[in-house]
Amino acid sequence: MISPQNVLRHELIGLDVLVVRASNPDHAGVSGRVTDETRNTLVILTGRGEKQIPKRFSVFRFRLPDGTAVDVDGSSLETQPERRIGMRIR
Amino acid sequence: MADTTRKSGSRRLARERIAVLFARAAEFYPESPDRSNRCVELARKIGMRHRIRIERPLKRRFCRRCYAYLVPGSNARVRVHRGRVVVTCLACGHRSRFPVGRPRQ
Repeated sequence: MISPQNVLRHELIGLDVLVVRASNPDHAGVSGRVTDETRNTLVILTGRGEKQIPKRFSVFRFRLPDGTAVDVDGSSLETQPERRIGMRIR
Repeated sequence: MADTTRKSGSRRLARERIAVLFARAAEFYPESPDRSNRCVELARKIGMRHRIRIERPLKRRFCRRCYAYLVPGSNARVRVHRGRVVVTCLACGHRSRFPVGRPRQ
């Protein structure tokens, strides 16, 4: 199952997320559900439509299905979704 | 199988993620079938990269030609024809045929 130890390598689509910090002040505070992931961005479905947020220079707070929250530096997610699985452990 | 610990760990994760993606695809479908199709695409990519087969029950949930996520009654027609289950993808018209009645060895 997805846990704080393996978020970096697990599936992010469907998780609730909050952008804690971002270099673009308009991106900070965006929250909603992850609907897509590319190499460099996450697409978040918010109450005001889908927002595509760059992973680099952002800090994301994911809420895992068991209720725990994990803060993740977006730059550590910077690869294609299917390649994240094989990444080194943080 | 001669798997190293690390490798089998990532393949287990890959299996989990494929299962999660298909669950999401089902969830997203009523609102946005495009998102479901994207989930299928990602699940296939994970499978290909980590050499994981997509299990039989999931294999039938998307079109073999256009890889659209299929929901019988909505964008797929399921019929039994001459001893086979024929699944027609209503997005591209492709018919996938699956044998029926002969148990696998």
